[in-house]
Amino acid sequence: MNAVLLSGLLGVVMMFASFLFRTKAPVRILAILGMAVLLVANVLDTKGIHFFHVNTTGFLSFTGYALFFNTIVIACTLIFFLISSKDMQKVGNHYAEYFALIFFILTGIFLVTAFTNLLILFIGIEIISIPLYILTGSAKKDLKSNEAALKYFLMGAFSTGVMLMGIALIYGATGTFDITKMNIAGLLKSNLLTAGMLMLLFSMCFKVSIAPFHFWTPDVYDGAPNVFTSFMATIVKVGIFVGFLHLFYTAFDAIALQWKIWMAVLAALTLLVGNITAVFQQSVKRMLAYSSISQAGFMLFALVAMNETAHEGLLLYAIAYCLATIGVFGIISKMTDYSFDGFNGLAGHQPLVALCVAIFMLSLAGIPLSAGFLAKFYMLKAVIQAGGYMWLVIFGVLMAAVSAYYYFRVIQAMYFKEGPNHFSGISAFEKCVLVGICVLIVFTGLFPNIIFGWMYF
Amino acid sequence: MNITQLLFWLLTVIAIGSALMIVTSKNPVYSVLGLIVTFFAISGHYILMNAQFLAIVNIIVYAGAIMVLFLFVIMLMNLSRATETLKNKWLQIVGAIAGSCLFLVLIAALKNTEIKKNLVEMGTGDIGLVKSLGRELFTTFVVPFEISSVLFLSAMIGAVVIGKKE
Repeated sequence: MNAVLLSGLLGVVMMFASFLFRTKAPVRILAILGMAVLLVANVLDTKGIHFFHVNTTGFLSFTGYALFFNTIVIACTLIFFLISSKDMQKVGNHYAEYFALIFFILTGIFLVTAFTNLLILFIGIEIISIPLYILTGSAKKDLKSNEAALKYFLMGAFSTGVMLMGIALIYGATGTFDITKMNIAGLLKSNLLTAGMLMLLFSMCFKVSIAPFHFWTPDVYDGAPNVFTSFMATIVKVGIFVGFLHLFYTAFDAIALQWKIWMAVLAALTLLVGNITAVFQQSVKRMLAYSSISQAGFMLFALVAMNETAHEGLLLYAIAYCLATIGVFGIISKMTDYSFDGFNGLAGHQPLVALCVAIFMLSLAGIPLSAGFLAKFYMLKAVIQAGGYMWLVIFGVLMAAVSAYYYFRVIQAMYFKEGPNHFSGISAFEKCVLVGICVLIVFTGLFPNIIFGWMYF
Repeated sequence: MNITQLLFWLLTVIAIGSALMIVTSKNPVYSVLGLIVTFFAISGHYILMNAQFLAIVNIIVYAGAIMVLFLFVIMLMNLSRATETLKNKWLQIVGAIAGSCLFLVLIAALKNTEIKKNLVEMGTGDIGLVKSLGRELFTTFVVPFEISSVLFLSAMIGAVVIGKKE
């Protein structure tokens, strides 16, 4: 509960900061400090020190898994602030409000990871979505950003409607919103429950851009300002994924026969569409949008497997995918040309930055010794343990091989081609942060047990 | 058939008829008017279910505020002319098939949910009254109620960010 209340309060604080400070630097420092405080508060919560004693009347339950995942989310957001907060100034005049909205989104993520009641799931998803529509359209002079925001809003509002309909049907079938008290096993033949569960499944798939509900993703990620694409493609996506897993693991495990095969088909379709389309992209930003679809396909493996390894794997995936993608977007927002050609010869102009990009790309592709490899390995292992979906595992490995093509294309452009400098410069501090992310990625890849040890401690 | 049941069927016919008008009418202004009529008819249903608060809120918020806003937007943007854009034929066919499938699923889902008791609940049950609703909202449902304030606050900030002059 520490993190939920504090992040909401910090959002209000950032709101006031917008008229208390005339310059931008104190706002940025306040936001970074606030995020650090949030991190400490959440770690203390994990250790059993609660600042607030709230009786949640059975609406929220903060398990160790949820709290640990929240720590990852906050740490990733802190890294995101350190590397990208300066670039947020370029978006528009409402600098402090952007931070306030990000703090509110975090509140939504904490709710979605800890809900035990469908009402909270709905409110949490909405708290995540509405600020995102605004952040997508925050570059008001940019037509592409306007289009992306409108598209995202219309599609998102529609999928929220489908979700509400699903929740209503489930309420009709079970008579409760509480996912721990639903007694699904007694309702195996209920068409009402199945229809509601499918609607919930579709709307959640939309929110995490699973094919064939992914059509908004490339346009929205491409149109939104770079810094916010970085945030919503990573932290928000894995946050909703944990809620997705929590929902189906707790509520619908008893009727797994009805949906598991479809989950596997969706995962395979997402991998196929995401990877094959990413191969044909000319812009690195758009390529990353499709790559985020294909990575979502891998994360969906956790919902096919539904076991302990899947839970651990999703955590590792969250770390690996967030760190690498935040790093790449931190660099892209300092480039003047986002196409593959823009990266030509970057190794000659900026050797350190190019090295970092190479490590991020290797991790995204899942090359051994990186966190990305271990994350993919855990996902595949989870599905094998669950049994019965060997075809999905083989298909996943094949698609991971396809994904190496477009990730390596960036590395090839940087190291083996010549071109003018499209990089607008980077401060020494940001270089340190980039190197820090690289170290974290390699460290997680080498010693994942330290992270799990911390989780179960 | 007593008078309340008659009222129920009358309201149902009005609601479904005006809902059909929303999707079939070519003129957007008629669609909006149809939507307002639907809201009123559904509010009538709420009253028959002894849920006065919901009925009043439905009229004030939806029929009152949101629909008037809708109407203004349509009138100001001068969308009242029937401008039918030429749609892809395949898209129409696929849309019809998808819509029918959804309809089939919903029918299948709802076929077992016959109304076992009365159609209307006049004078029985007090859950829909303002007093009991307020008590529930501030005791059992106080957590989601308070949390939704974050949602509204973020929407307000969003309105400022999007609407304020640069």
